[in-house]
Amino acid sequence: MIIAIIHKELLAVLRDGRLLVLAFSVFAVLSGFFLASVAEHQQVQQEKQAVGATAKEQWDTQGVKNPHAAAHFGIYVFKPDSPLASVDPGLRQYTGQTLWLEPHKRNGVRFSPAADQGLAGRFGQASAGFVLVALLPLLVIALAFNAVTQEREQGTLRMLHSLGVSATKLLLGKFVGLLLAFMVVLLPATAVAIIILYQNFDLAGDDILRLLALSGTFFMYYAVFAALAMSTSIHFKSSRLALFTLLAFWSGSVLIAPRLGAAAAEMMVPIPSATAFWAGIKKDIQQGLDNDGDHQAREALFKVQVLKQYGVTRVEDLPVGYAALNRNFNDGYSERVHALHFDRLRDAFERQGRFIHIASLLGPSIAMRSVSMTLSGMDLAHQRHFEDAAENYRHYFIGLTDDWDRERSHGTKRGALGHDSDWGSVKAFTYASPSVGFALHHALADLLVLLAWLVAALMWLLFSAKRLKP
Amino acid sequence: MSPNKILLEAKQLVVNYKNHRAIDGLDLSVPAGCVYALLGGNGAGKTSTINTFLGFNRPTGGNVFIDGESPDQNPAVVRAKLAYLPENVALYEYMSGLENLSFFCKLANIRISRQHAHDLLVNTGLQSDAHDRRVSTYSKGMRQKVGLAIASAKQAKVMLLDEPTSGLDPSAANDFAQRIRAAADLGMAVLMATHDLFNAKQVADRIGIMKAGRLVEEFDAHTVAHDELEHKYLAHARGLL
Repeated sequence: MIIAIIHKELLAVLRDGRLLVLAFSVFAVLSGFFLASVAEHQQVQQEKQAVGATAKEQWDTQGVKNPHAAAHFGIYVFKPDSPLASVDPGLRQYTGQTLWLEPHKRNGVRFSPAADQGLAGRFGQASAGFVLVALLPLLVIALAFNAVTQEREQGTLRMLHSLGVSATKLLLGKFVGLLLAFMVVLLPATAVAIIILYQNFDLAGDDILRLLALSGTFFMYYAVFAALAMSTSIHFKSSRLALFTLLAFWSGSVLIAPRLGAAAAEMMVPIPSATAFWAGIKKDIQQGLDNDGDHQAREALFKVQVLKQYGVTRVEDLPVGYAALNRNFNDGYSERVHALHFDRLRDAFERQGRFIHIASLLGPSIAMRSVSMTLSGMDLAHQRHFEDAAENYRHYFIGLTDDWDRERSHGTKRGALGHDSDWGSVKAFTYASPSVGFALHHALADLLVLLAWLVAALMWLLFSAKRLKP
Repeated sequence: MSPNKILLEAKQLVVNYKNHRAIDGLDLSVPAGCVYALLGGNGAGKTSTINTFLGFNRPTGGNVFIDGESPDQNPAVVRAKLAYLPENVALYEYMSGLENLSFFCKLANIRISRQHAHDLLVNTGLQSDAHDRRVSTYSKGMRQKVGLAIASAKQAKVMLLDEPTSGLDPSAANDFAQRIRAAADLGMAVLMATHDLFNAKQVADRIGIMKAGRLVEEFDAHTVAHDELEHKYLAHARGLL
């Protein structure tokens, strides 16, 4: 019986001319955005590679100079985006593309595309991810809003009841049929997207796993809308009322909830301004953390320890360069302060993210948007992972130049020199993106929210089935 | 099947819609092989009676039985025994007559071959060239024939008809009446709510007149004269009786 209902629902979709128009529109919009995303993704990657190669060449050919002066030349590193960034570019517009690594200071990422955008960019970013999260639920609603009301209006529901069709089986068949029909409508656009992905990127196993997880999550998301739309269709006598109610829910989930959530998060977890953030770091370096003493006191104590370690009474008598040692000590303290402030800031961002979830009570779209960004590797967690890797690399190459400076100097003399062979021996920054497990771990809260929505929507559908009357 | 076995029965049936009493102490029985025509004006309770036998209304008082089973207690068993044809047989417009028949049969757990489905439609008088056409192109009479084919496929013991000839041309109404008569002659019990006196007299064995939810007159359709039936019907409708 259920298979017959599923077959009938599919037939209804395939023979309905309006849905062919919808399918074509979805295909055009989704393919268009996806192609644009892929083109942008590739352009960004090419620019990163070109700039990275140039910067490396400039680094390698600095000529003869003091190693610390060479370190001040700095190294640019770039976050490699996953192929899935073509599906959902996530925070790329806002988190920046480039990290400049230099001595003494941990920088934030810079050169975000959003900063280069014109006025139109401020009205929101359109991407395949936006279509999938915000627009496709409208298609589900368009397919399902009259799933039951139409049967009631046309009298077929009485016919079905008179045949003894159980309401639960009828709705289950309609629900599955609707999801299958929806997938049929999506099929052409999905096929094109997969072909484009395969042709333009070397997809690793991890990318495929992420893609599968993302597809499964989107399926869950659309199932929520389908179940809610069908339940609504049961409770309203007129298709029009059901449609208006569902559109109100859609706007609450897609448009209102993110803004309400963001406002609540900003209120509950304020984020310091950039000026205050950097001023805080500077103050803590100068005045010291807890009982560490101020900058001068710490340097004085360190000097005593170094003289004792090397068994001399004056820094001039040290067998190694004191300036490099002292700088190394100060940088170590600075790194500690930077790590503290950066962690505090990023923890605040994460707490804000959790507060935004309160608005998930209005709809599942916030959670879906978040999962989409995370599985595409374009969220704050992946950004943090990259920044931490870059910071480790900064420690490596600054440490290396400090070693050269220290070992090639004596006492207070700063005669250390490095050559192109030294600069060339600095390993290039290589970044391994975290695995799908990392993404799933960070998406767990959002996945649970989506699951809760799905369970609630299905339970409501089953409850509604008991109230189904012809 | 015994021709006297009661297949449709209402005992002291009362149905209320909120504060309105739609059926008020109805006693009615339809044996196998009998066509019972329920006459009455709008709001007399004819459709409410049909809906209660279908299980769409829950009795406020009294009981209804189909072949001894209560639709309220055993809806699945009851619905397997009955066929229902409303005034406008509701079919899926985007499917053909044949597809509609197959679909409704599947829902009723009846397996029929494509050829059998064609035969059923032919038997109801639906021309072969219409079988594969979409129902959206069908006339009301053609839809009724698909409905009859569904009833026939179900081998239902009971048929409930709600204004079945309303809107049919005389030829189609006559054709429909003959097919209902033929179904009853094979042992089916038929309860038909209608405004159509001529049709009732033509096809029914018994005729009842309903007014304000009560069965106020009953006739043997074979013995009552058309004029007498018309006089009584109009008198009840105008409140003269």
